[in-house]
This record gives sequence, structure tokens and C-alpha cells, in this order.
Amino acid sequence: MWRMWLLFDPRRTLIALFTFLFALALLIHFILLSTDRFNWLEGPGAHANAASQAAPNP
Amino acid sequence: MAVERTSSLSGLTENEAKEFHSIFMTSFIIFTVIAIIAHILVWMWRPWLPGPKGYAALDGVMGAASHLISLVA
Repeated sequence: MWRMWLLFDPRRTLIALFTFLFALALLIHFILLSTDRFNWLEGPGAHANAASQAAPNP
Repeated sequence: MAVERTSSLSGLTENEAKEFHSIFMTSFIIFTVIAIIAHILVWMWRPWLPGPKGYAALDGVMGAASHLISLVA
């Protein structure tokens, strides 16, 4: 398994890996924030309540 | 005279590759363990695979109680 570093340059591999993991983490966190159940900042139902409260006020 | 092989594609010798591999695998295992712990904590917070009846089947009494409290408050 260690022979892979004879093929791939460790510096480029690390930069690519960190970039990929950071982009993936950012994507997953924003997807979770966009959902109702897994939004840890506003909690469940925050968007629905805001919509129902905003509706009666034209 | 031992000629050091530098003809690999990455330019690393076999010893350098082994040394980097040990550091890489240690870091990878630590990262994986932290990720597993984080997933366990998130699953305890809110499971992300709903049952056949949706998330309500998983929430149980505590979910209903917190919903009632949120309705009253």
C-alpha cells in the first residue's frame, strides 16, 4: 500500500485531499442547514413559523 | 556502492514513501475515529434514516412531549 506514494506526489495528493474534504464538508453542512430537521441554528419548524407569521401581514 | 533509486514517478524513495505512509495512515485513522464519533453524536441527536412511518416513529414519547411543550409555550 505504501507504494502508492511512489506513484502519487504526496504534496499534490494532500492538497487535493484537503481541498476535496473541505468542499465536501462545506457542501454537507450547507445541505443540512437548508433542511428543517437538521438545522441546528434555527431548529425544526423555524421556517414554517416564520412563513405562517408573515402570511397574515400583507 | 548502493545507488539510491529516485526513478519513481513521485520522486520519493522507498524509505521516504514508507515514512510518509506511516504518518498518512496514522492521520487517516485519527480523522476516521473523530468522524465516527461525530456521526454517533449526530445520530443520538437526530437519526437521519426515517422508519417506514417517518421520523415520528423514531421520536417516540420525547418527541411528542417536546412538540406539546413547543405548542404550549
